Amino acid sequence: MTIPILQAEALEKTYHDNGVPVRALVPIDVAFDQGEFTVIAGPSGSGKTTLLNLLGALDAPTGGRVLFNGRPLEGLSKTELSKLRLHQFGFIFQAYNLIPVFTAVENIEFVLTLQGVAERDRRRRALEVMKELDIEALAHKRPNQMSGGQQQRVAIGRAIATNPAIILADEPTANLDSATGGVLLDLMTHMNQEHGITFLFSSHDPQVIERGRRVIRLHDGRIERDDRRPGA
Amino acid sequence: MMLLRLAWRNIWRNRRRSLIILTSVVVGLIAIVFIEAVVRGFMRQSLDNQLGTHTAHIQVHRMGYHDNPAIDRFIARPEVVDAALAADARIAASSRRVLATGLLSSARNSSGIMLVGIEPEREARVTIIQRSIVAGRNLGLEPREILISERMSRTLDVGLGDKVVAMSSTREGKVGSELFRVVGLFRTSIMEFDRVHAYIPHATAQSLIGAGAEAAEFAMVLHATTDLNAVRDSLRVVLGPEYEVQSYEDLIPTMAAMVELTERSMIIYYVILGLAMIFGIINTMMMSVYERIRELGVLKAVGMQDRMLFWMVLLEAAMLGTVGTSVGLVLGNALNAWIAVSGLNFSWFSEGLSSWGTGAIIYPVLDPLGSVRGGLLIVAMCVLAALQPALKAVRLHPMDAIRHL
Repeated sequence: MTIPILQAEALEKTYHDNGVPVRALVPIDVAFDQGEFTVIAGPSGSGKTTLLNLLGALDAPTGGRVLFNGRPLEGLSKTELSKLRLHQFGFIFQAYNLIPVFTAVENIEFVLTLQGVAERDRRRRALEVMKELDIEALAHKRPNQMSGGQQQRVAIGRAIATNPAIILADEPTANLDSATGGVLLDLMTHMNQEHGITFLFSSHDPQVIERGRRVIRLHDGRIERDDRRPGA
Repeated sequence: MMLLRLAWRNIWRNRRRSLIILTSVVVGLIAIVFIEAVVRGFMRQSLDNQLGTHTAHIQVHRMGYHDNPAIDRFIARPEVVDAALAADARIAASSRRVLATGLLSSARNSSGIMLVGIEPEREARVTIIQRSIVAGRNLGLEPREILISERMSRTLDVGLGDKVVAMSSTREGKVGSELFRVVGLFRTSIMEFDRVHAYIPHATAQSLIGAGAEAAEFAMVLHATTDLNAVRDSLRVVLGPEYEVQSYEDLIPTMAAMVELTERSMIIYYVILGLAMIFGIINTMMMSVYERIRELGVLKAVGMQDRMLFWMVLLEAAMLGTVGTSVGLVLGNALNAWIAVSGLNFSWFSEGLSSWGTGAIIYPVLDPLGSVRGGLLIVAMCVLAALQPALKAVRLHPMDAIRHL
């Protein structure tokens, strides 16, 4: 039996809004295997972003635990969590969130710098990723000189450049038109199928849900359905 | 390198804000460097004039003369001192003097006086009196010549060629007097000095007060003031306990201490400037951090460690400080170098300056190394000012920061 790459055990999260407790997630048990292309779907407020943030070690649960490759994240220091995110996770955000003062290639290089990759190697790797994503022409453009779709491609480049174990994408197509979103989804599907990169999306975009080989539907912080498509 | 590039570009994200804070650093630095150089020039000129008019670097007296400057405490064998001074190659020149207090009278007025009996050629190598002559000439070979200040000439209402009578107590307690003809008028930048000093030939002074071949004091200048204490100490050994050898720091301790204190207290100007700038830097860095909360959250999310984030914010402040300080120091020193050529003319309150002995024109004295030290202090204070914003950045929770609008 293989160990899931990421696992939630009785995971729950309660926020406090002006002192009033709001349960964003009721205890959830879910596991993700290497190579999955999973979409966590659900309406706004269903808890999908909360779940993604907890799984990505960006937030701490109020109950239960997250395990990465069977190792619980609870008790890890801030530095250890930072290192985990840097080396094992790739993040793609709804608003792209590129560093505005860096060019496209520098944005991709930056995470490699954080990993301690030598200057020559990180430039080579960044250009390699850009070539694969067909954005070489954007190498020296800053985010404000790029379209939303182009920025999201660079963000994907940043996420995959470090060869992470899993990529967590929070509403990656929400700010894009459907055609651009479709192209990006094609790209990520290709990455998943060709390179075996594990993707975990949170989205309510039908286009994304349609591409998911596993779709987990959340409602009011609970898993309503967990569907695996044939061949998954 | 990447972190440096990021920090540098972050500074210029809000060009106007950075330029405003940089301008304040630059203007502050120019002002401080300028004030520092003028104050240093003021103090140095004051000291130099004090040394140049009379005190010189080192003086030798007979032991006890300072406490009671009487004729019977004159140096009995000046040739012994002369020989000791001539043997020390660190001494550039020396002058032998006879000093006598008395009264100088003209047909219309009289004034208290300190008569200085000098050998003009030797004195000219030690003090600036010869160079301070504004009318007439220096003492010559004639024994009945006197050199008085321009101020004294007004007091006595005399001019070149006029006669004056000098009176002073002799060794025997009688009053000795001599008629002199004014051959020259001098003007130094020390008002008090000009008010009382007059120069007569050394031999005439000896005869006026009945001092025989004795001398009141020797004054000397050194090739290098760095040898000051060494020369003083070796002369003390060579001349023995019968003599009192004092450097200008011993003779005018308040003045010497004030110059040193002023130079050392220059750092206070930089601290004050730094304190004033700290608030500007805190404000700038706080705004910079607040504007980038979302981005800082992303940096944390993708794995940037708190330590690095902390240094990035400090680096930005250090860069702001370094750029502002460098430009300020270069411009400030350039301004000083330019002004130092002709000096700053403060003649509109030269009376006040004259009492300080500086002269009406102050020449700023550059101390690039000192200003660099001050500049480094400013940079350090800029970094200090960024501590709070840097801690703010470190304390951000990545998820909350990413959600920040």
